[in-house]
Amino acid sequence: MKIDVQHLAKLSRLHISEEQVAKFEMQMQEILGMVDNLPELSSEDCLIDPQNPMTCRPDIPQNNYKRDDILKNAPQVQAGCVVVPKVIE
Amino acid sequence: MDYEIVIGLEVHAELSTESKIYCSCKNEFGFEVNTRCCPICTGMPGTLPTLNEKVIEYAVKMGLALHCDINQICKQDRKNYYYPDLPKAYQISQFDIPLCEKGYVDVLVNGKEKRIGVTRIHIEEDAGKLLHNDNFAGSLVDFNRCGVPLIEIVSEPDMRSAQEAKVYLETIRSILQYLDISDCKMQEGSIRCDVNVSVMPKGSDVFGTRCEMKNINSFSGAVRAIEFEANRQIQILKEGGTITQETRRWDDSKGKSFTLRTKEDAHDYRYFPEPDLLTIVLDDSYINTVREQIPELPNVKISRYLREFGLSQVDASLLVEDPEKAKLFEDTTAKKQCSPKSVCNWILGDISKQMNEKMLPLSEINISAESLSELLALIESGKISNATGKTVFEEMLVSDKMPSIIVKEKGFIQISDEGQLETIVQDVLKNNQKSVEDYHNGKTNALGFLVGQCMKATKGQGNPAKMKEILLKLIG
Amino acid sequence: MELYQLTASELAQMLRNKECSSEEITKSVLNRIKETEDRVGSYVTITEETALEQAKVVDARLAAGEALSPLAGIPISVKDNICTKGIRTTCSSKMLSNFEPPYNATVIEKLSAQEAVIIGKLNMDEFAMGSSCETSYFKKTRNPHSLDHVPGGSSGGSAAAVAAGETILSLGSDTGGSIRLPASYCGVIGLKPTYGSVSRYGLVAFASSLDQIGPFARSVEDISMLYSAICGMDPLDATTARREYPDFQKDLSNADLKGLRIGIPKEYFSDGVSTEVKEKVLAAAKLLEENGAVLKEVSLPSTGYALSAYYVISSAEASSNLARFDGVKYGYRTENYSNLIEMYENTRSEGFGDEVKRRILLGTFVLSSGYYDAYYKRAKLLQKQIQQEFADTFEECDLLLTPTGTDTAFKMGEKTDDPLKMYANDICTVTVNIAGLPAISLPCGEDASGLPIGMQLIAPKFAEQILFNVSRKYETLVGGLNKVAVL
Repeated sequence: MKIDVQHLAKLSRLHISEEQVAKFEMQMQEILGMVDNLPELSSEDCLIDPQNPMTCRPDIPQNNYKRDDILKNAPQVQAGCVVVPKVIE
Repeated sequence: MDYEIVIGLEVHAELSTESKIYCSCKNEFGFEVNTRCCPICTGMPGTLPTLNEKVIEYAVKMGLALHCDINQICKQDRKNYYYPDLPKAYQISQFDIPLCEKGYVDVLVNGKEKRIGVTRIHIEEDAGKLLHNDNFAGSLVDFNRCGVPLIEIVSEPDMRSAQEAKVYLETIRSILQYLDISDCKMQEGSIRCDVNVSVMPKGSDVFGTRCEMKNINSFSGAVRAIEFEANRQIQILKEGGTITQETRRWDDSKGKSFTLRTKEDAHDYRYFPEPDLLTIVLDDSYINTVREQIPELPNVKISRYLREFGLSQVDASLLVEDPEKAKLFEDTTAKKQCSPKSVCNWILGDISKQMNEKMLPLSEINISAESLSELLALIESGKISNATGKTVFEEMLVSDKMPSIIVKEKGFIQISDEGQLETIVQDVLKNNQKSVEDYHNGKTNALGFLVGQCMKATKGQGNPAKMKEILLKLIG
Repeated sequence: MELYQLTASELAQMLRNKECSSEEITKSVLNRIKETEDRVGSYVTITEETALEQAKVVDARLAAGEALSPLAGIPISVKDNICTKGIRTTCSSKMLSNFEPPYNATVIEKLSAQEAVIIGKLNMDEFAMGSSCETSYFKKTRNPHSLDHVPGGSSGGSAAAVAAGETILSLGSDTGGSIRLPASYCGVIGLKPTYGSVSRYGLVAFASSLDQIGPFARSVEDISMLYSAICGMDPLDATTARREYPDFQKDLSNADLKGLRIGIPKEYFSDGVSTEVKEKVLAAAKLLEENGAVLKEVSLPSTGYALSAYYVISSAEASSNLARFDGVKYGYRTENYSNLIEMYENTRSEGFGDEVKRRILLGTFVLSSGYYDAYYKRAKLLQKQIQQEFADTFEECDLLLTPTGTDTAFKMGEKTDDPLKMYANDICTVTVNIAGLPAISLPCGEDASGLPIGMQLIAPKFAEQILFNVSRKYETLVGGLNKVAVL
C-alpha cells in the first residue's frame, strides 16, 4: 500500500519536508502493517453502543462569558472580531 | 432533442430552540458580534459538546411530518474541514445514520398533487459568519452563529421543473412554520438551500451528471439558479459537450453561477463517529409523545377548508401557506358571526395588502379574530356598507377600538330606513334632471351615476341595494 | 522528616491537629521545588503566589474552627493539558505557549471547591503524545530516581513532581498509559480511572474516547482521596456515567484478600517484558497469594493486536481534535503568511513538533476516503473484541495483575529516533484504555540499578474500590510505598 504523505499533509494543513516524507511514510507503514495483519473480525456494528445511551441537556440558555473572555487569546482582533487573511469565496 | 430537468434539494433550516445545539448560549439572531458565544461554541481547547434535547424533538417532529422512518438508535459524526468560521475545524453532523430517513411530502403543482421523496433529515451545527469590508485587508470572524441548531432536509431527485422546486420549498417552509420549529426567515439566513441539477433527454430514465449550486438565498433565487443551470447544461450537451460534476456558486445579482470546485478537488471530510457524544436512543413512547404534538399540517388543512368551508383550492392554499393567516381564518370563522367566504376574502384581500405594504407579518397587524368577526358581522347584517367597512378597517389598524365602537363614534351606521332614503333619492332626482332624461333615452349607465350621487348624498352610509331599489321605483 | 515528604492523608490529619499549617506545607513544597526543580524539570508554570494565598485562606478557616474538605490546604499540581482559568495551559506545545483559558476544567472546579492548593502546571509530552516526556516544547523532565533517565510519559511531570517531593498529589491524563507508565518509572502510584468516571471537560483532548484524567500519589489512601474528589457525573461531559460513587476510604483498611481471584494474563508476560520486571511483578503476585488471594492464569488473546488498534483510534481522533489549532482563535500564529492557507500551514507546521505531526498524518490517513473501513473501522472492531475478552475474563477472576511497563525507565534520548520502539512501551497499558477499564500502577521493587518497577492491577468498569482495597493491602504488606526520591 502506498501512503501519499504529501496529500495527507495537505489535508491536515501541514508542511512536511521531502526528507521527512520518507521517514514518516516508513513509520506509518509499520504501524498500519500491524492492522493489515489483524485476524478476521466479526462485522457487527462497532460504531454505536445503544447499551450506553446519551442523556441530553435541557434547552435552557445561560452564558457567563463576555466577548473579551472569548477574544483575549486571539492573535489578531478588530471591531470585536477575530481577524484572518481575506477569504474569497 | 428535448431535455428534462432533474432537481434535488438540500434545505438547511435553523431551529428556533432557546439555546444552541451543543452549548447553553442563547440562540438569537442579530446581536452584536461575538456576544452570543462561549468557550464551547468557539472551540476552545478542552471544551466538550452536550446535545440539546429540544433539537432531537424538533428534528423528529419534522421527520414525522414528512412521513420519515425515525432511526431510534443513531449517532453523530464529525465532518472535518478547515475554514475560519468553523472554530473546531469540524462540524458535528450526522453521516451514515441520520435521525430521519425515507420520507416524502405531497406538494400541489398547478393544482395537481405530486409526491417528492425525502431521503433524509439530520441534525447538525451551523458555522459562524465571515464579514468582509472592501476597506480592510482581512476578513473578520463573528462566532455568534456557531452552534445554532440546524436540520438538513435532503430530497430525492424527484423534481422536474424550477416551479416544482419552488413549490417544494414553499411546502417545506410552511410545514416548518406549522410545527413552529424554525423562524424560516430567508433574509436572516434561517432557511437556506443547495440545489442539485442535472438534465437528461426526455423519456430517458438515466440521470445526467449533476452539479451542485450553493449560495442560494431566496426561493425565487432557487428558481433562477435552476433555470440558469439547466440551460447551461442543455447548451453544453447540444454543442456535443459533456457535463463535469462540480460544485458551483450562484451569484443572484449577476444571474450566473461559477465553478467553485470540481470533483477532483472535492473535500475529503473524513467523517467518523463523534467520540464526545454517546449513542442517541429514542424509545417508542418518546416518538409517540412527539407525534401527538404535531398539529394539523398544511395539505390536510387545505383539504379540510375545501370540504368544510367550500373555499376554492387557490384561496385555501393561500390561507394555509401562512399559519398566522390560517389561524386568523379559523378563529374568526369559529365565532360563527360571518361567512367563511368573506373572512377568506378579507384576509387574502385587505389584510394581506396591509401586510405587503408594511412588510409586516400578520401578528404585527392590529387585527384579531374578535375585531375581524365583528367587522364582517356589521357588513353582512347590512349595518354598514362594504365601503364603510373598509374605512372602519383602516381605523382599526391605527386604534385599538373594536369596529362597533368606531362605527358608533363616527356615526357610520348604514341608512336602511326607506322613508329617509326616499327623501334623499327624490332630492337627487330633482337635482339631476339631465341624467334622468338620459336614462329614459336608453342610456342605462346613467343609473350608476345616479346611485353614486345618492351614496354621496348619504356620505356613503346609504344601503346601496335599498337605494337602487327606491331609485328604480321613483324614476319609473 | 520534611512536610513535603508526607502523604496528603497524613498532612490533612496534622492540619486538623494544628500540628502544622497549610502555609507551612505549601512553603515546604515550594522550597523543595526551589532546591530540585532545576534538576528534575517537572513544572511548566509555578503559581507560588496564588498557592500561598489559598493556603492562608485555609489556615484562616482552620483557625476559625470551620470544617474542612478532605483536600483543603493540600498542595496539588496539575498536568498542563488541564485548563486552569487565567493560568496558561500549554500542553507543553509551542502552539499553546501563550494560551490562558477563560474557564476551569471541571476537575479544577472540584479541587477549588475543596480548597486544595494548586502549586502549578506540570510538564508533559507535547499534547500528551509520547511515553518519555521528551517531546515537550519547553523542557525535558528527568526521572528523580536517576536524572539521566526519562520519567516516562506523557504525564512525566506529574509523576516526577510527586516522586521528587515537589508536590504532594498531582493530576495527569492517561490515553494509552500516560499515567501508569510514568508512575511505574518514577516509583509512585498512578490511577487510570474507568472511562466516564472523571469529567474530561477542560482536558485538552488527545483521543476523546480514550482520554481520562487520574491521580498520582505516594499512598493508596491519597489516590482514593483524590479520585473521590474528582469523579462523578458532569453535565458538561456527555460521556460521564450517571451513577453514585461509594465512600472509597471507608472500606480501605479492612480489605480482605481471602478468596480474591487474581488473573495473570499470560500475554502480558511475553518475551518483550524484561526478566527483572517479570520477576518482581510475579513476586508481588505471590505475596498476595500468600495472603489469601487465588492466582489464575488467564488469556487475553487479542492483546498483541491492541497496540495497532490503539494507534489507529487515538491518531484518528487526535487528527480531528488538533485541527482547531489553526492560528485563528488562540495560541500560536505564524508571522509568515500572505493568505489563509499559508497561515494555516505555517502556523501548524511551526507550532507542532514531529511526534504530533506524525500522529496527525496517521490519523488523517486512517480516516481518509478509501481507507476508513480497512483501518479505522477494523480498529474499532478489534476494540469491541478486546472489550469482550476482558468481560469474559472478569467472569473467572476479580482483577488482573500485569507489569505496567515492559522495562524500567530508559535513558533520555535512547528511543527518540525510533517511534515504534517508543510505542512498544505502552503495550501493557493500552488495552486498558481500549477497553475503558480502571487500572492502577503500584511500585513493586527496583531493578539492579535501583530504578523502580511497577505492577498494574486492572479491574472491571467502575470497580475502583477493588483496586484501592487490594492496593492498600499490598501497601501494608510491603510496609508502605511512600518514597520520595533522594536528590
